[in-house]
Amino acid sequence: MKSEIKKIGIPRAISYYNNYPFYYGFFSSLGLEVVLSDKTTTKTINEGAKYVVSDTCLPIKVYTGHVMNLLHKGCEAIFIPSIQSTGYKINNCSKIRGLPEIIRNVINKPFIMVEPTLDKTENISFKDFCIQSANSVGIFDKDKIKQAISDGWRVYNMFLEMTQSGVSYSEALDNAIKGKLVKKTIDIVKPLSVAIMAHGYNLFDDRISLNLIKKLEKMDVKVYTSLNVSRQDAISAIDSIGEIQYWANELELTGTAAHYLTNEKVDGIIALSAFGCGPDSLMVEEISYHCKEAGMPLIHLTIDEHTGEAGFITRLEAFVDMLLRKKRSILTKQSDKTEEDANIENTVEIKEERILTGSVK
Amino acid sequence: MNTAEKLEKTKMENTIPTKDRIIAWPRMGRIDIPLKALLVSLGAKVVIPPPNSNEALEIGVRNSIEGICLPYKLNLANYIMALEKGANTLMMFQAPGSCRLGNYTKMAQKTLKSMGYKFDMVIFDMYKSKMKQTLHAFWHVTHCINPWRYYKGFSLGFNKFFAIDTAERLLFYTRPRELNKGDAEKCYEKWLKITDETNSVIGAKKLKKQIIEDFKKIPIDKDKKVPIVYLIGEFFVLLDPYTNQNIEKELGEMGVEVQRQIMFGDWLEHVLKPSIFYHKESHRERSVRYAKKYMKRAIGGECIETIGDTVYAAKHGVDGIIHISPFSCMPEIVAQNILPKVSQEEDIPVMSLVLDEQTGKAGYLTRIEAFIDLVKRKQLRKNSK
Repeated sequence: MKSEIKKIGIPRAISYYNNYPFYYGFFSSLGLEVVLSDKTTTKTINEGAKYVVSDTCLPIKVYTGHVMNLLHKGCEAIFIPSIQSTGYKINNCSKIRGLPEIIRNVINKPFIMVEPTLDKTENISFKDFCIQSANSVGIFDKDKIKQAISDGWRVYNMFLEMTQSGVSYSEALDNAIKGKLVKKTIDIVKPLSVAIMAHGYNLFDDRISLNLIKKLEKMDVKVYTSLNVSRQDAISAIDSIGEIQYWANELELTGTAAHYLTNEKVDGIIALSAFGCGPDSLMVEEISYHCKEAGMPLIHLTIDEHTGEAGFITRLEAFVDMLLRKKRSILTKQSDKTEEDANIENTVEIKEERILTGSVK
Repeated sequence: MNTAEKLEKTKMENTIPTKDRIIAWPRMGRIDIPLKALLVSLGAKVVIPPPNSNEALEIGVRNSIEGICLPYKLNLANYIMALEKGANTLMMFQAPGSCRLGNYTKMAQKTLKSMGYKFDMVIFDMYKSKMKQTLHAFWHVTHCINPWRYYKGFSLGFNKFFAIDTAERLLFYTRPRELNKGDAEKCYEKWLKITDETNSVIGAKKLKKQIIEDFKKIPIDKDKKVPIVYLIGEFFVLLDPYTNQNIEKELGEMGVEVQRQIMFGDWLEHVLKPSIFYHKESHRERSVRYAKKYMKRAIGGECIETIGDTVYAAKHGVDGIIHISPFSCMPEIVAQNILPKVSQEEDIPVMSLVLDEQTGKAGYLTRIEAFIDLVKRKQLRKNSK
C-alpha cells in the first residue's frame, strides 16, 4: 500500500535552502520523483497566512503556503522534516522543530506526511533520520537506503564545493542537481564588500529577501554569505569571539558574521531577519555587540509580509553610501599619512644634516 | 572538549569569597519563600529583589533588546534591583534546548557586566543529572559541608513549595464560592506569611495540613454551580501574578474556579527527584500521552503540556481553557496554531491571550468577560439537556 508512493513533494522553504541537494540525491536514488513547489510569490504568503495564527513568523507562513501549493499540484506525499537538534544541546527554533505538528493541525486535507526527526541531543542521528524517511515512503531495503544516503551526500558535497569556490546559490544548485561541477576561478574585485548574516531560507528566497543579493550587486557591492564559509571556519570563528553555539543555525548567522568580522575581508555586515524571530533577536544582538567593539558597521534589516520595497532600498542605499564614505575617508587618511610619513623622514634627514654639519663645525 | 570546559567556567564564576557572598535570584510568583529558607539554612546571606512592578518592567525594558520575550526583561530588572540592594552573587537555572530561556543567563551576564556591575553568576542546568548539578551549585555559593543543613534546607524548601501550592489550589477553589468576599484572599495571605516565617522542619511539614484545616473554616456556598476554567500556557507567565495581570483573581471574582496544572512544587519534585523515587506519572508524561493525537514530539518549552492539558481538560469535564503566553514566545506560537483544531475536535472553548509590556488591562478584562459569558452559556445549555 505504502510502496505506491512514486512522487514526493518538497516545499521550497526552510530546510530546502540548506539541504535540498541532499534530499534530491537521496530521494531520486530511492526511485522517487521529487516535486518542488513553485517559487515564493505574494500569493504563496497570503495563502499560508490564511492557515496559521497571526503571531507566526514569515518563514512559517511561507512554508505553509508552499505545502498548500504542493497539495494543489496533486502531491500525495510531502516531506516535512522535524530538525530538532544538530548537535548535543544545540537545538533549533521551536517552530522549525514543530513544523510537522503545525502543518498537521492547520491543514485539514488528507495527505501522507513524511516526517522524520533529527535529534542529536536524544541520539537520533542523521542516518536514523534518513532511515525514517525511507521507511515512511515504504522502502525498507537497508542496502538501498545506504546507497541513497551516499548518493545524497555526493550531490550535497558537489553543491558545497561549488558554493565555497564562490559560485552563486542558484547556479550551484542547478549544477549540483544536473551532476555538473563548475568552479569559479576569477574573483572580481569590487570597491565594497559586505557579509550577510541570515538564515538560508530568508536570504535565498527572492521574495522574502526582496532580492537583496541582486540589489547589492547592482550597487557594485561584493556579497559574502554563509555559503562561502566552511563549517570548520564558522565554528572556529564563533570560538574566537568567545561565544558558545546554542542554536542549530547559529553557524549561518553568528558563524558567518564572526568569520568576516575576524578576517577583515568586508567593509560591513548586513543582518537580515524575519520579524519576531526568536533566535535572531539574540544572535543579531550578540554580533552587534562584537561589531561595536571592533568598529564594524552593521545594519539590521527586519522583514515581514508587509515590508515595502521602497523603504527597504532606501535603508540599503544609505548603508552602502555610508560604507563608501567611510572607506574613502580611511583611504584618504592613509594616503595623507604616507605623505606625512615622507615629510617626517625628510625633516629627520635635514636635522641630521644640521647636526652633522654642526658637529663638523 | 574545549567548548564544554568554557561552558562550565562561565556557568559557575568564582571571584568573590564565600563568606562575602550575598545571593539573589529572579522572582517568579512566590519562589522567594522556599528558596530563601533553603539558602538561609545553608548559612548564606540573601537579598530578595522587590516584587515585579511597572517600575521593574521599565528598568528591564530599558536595558534589554527589543525582540526578547517578557520574562527576560523582568528577570533582568530583578537582577539589577538586587544588585542595587547589595547582592553580589546571582543564581539562575537554565534548561538548554527548551527555548530562548537557555540563553537568558548568558545575555544577562553580558548586559550586567557592560553596565559595570561586579558579581558572580551561578547557573545550574536542568537538563540531565539535575540533582547533582543543583547540589553542586548550592555548594558552590555556600561551601556548606554539613549534610544535616542540606537536609534541613531541602526539606524546608520542598515543604514550603508544597504548602504554597496547596494554599493556591484551595484559594482557587474557595474564591468563587466564598460567602464573604475577600475571606479566601486574606487566609491565603496569612498563610503565605506564616510559611515564610516557619523555620523548623517539623513546622514546615505540618503546614500543609494546617492550611487545609484553615481553609475549611471559610464559609462557602457548596451548591453553587461554578464553571471551571483551566489556565495553561507559558511557565513564567502562569506563575507570576504581575505578568498575567492577576488573571486568577479576576477570574475568581467573576465566579469562576480556576485550575492550573503547572504548579511549581510539582514541577520541581518531578525535575529534581531521582527517577527511582518518583513513581507517579509526571505532568509531562501525562501531557505527552494525551497530546499524542495532535503532537508526536516535544518541541521545547511548554508546548506539549499546553496541548496535553487541553485534551485532558476536555475529557474531564472542564468548561473552558484560557491559554496565556508572552509575545513572540516560540513554543507557545506553535501551541496557538494547534489549539484551534484541538478546541474543535474535543469540543472545548479555548481563548489565547498574548501578553507584552503594553497590554492594557481594560481590553484584557473585556476579552476575559466575554469568554466567561460564553463558557457559562455553554454550561447552561449542557445542564438543561
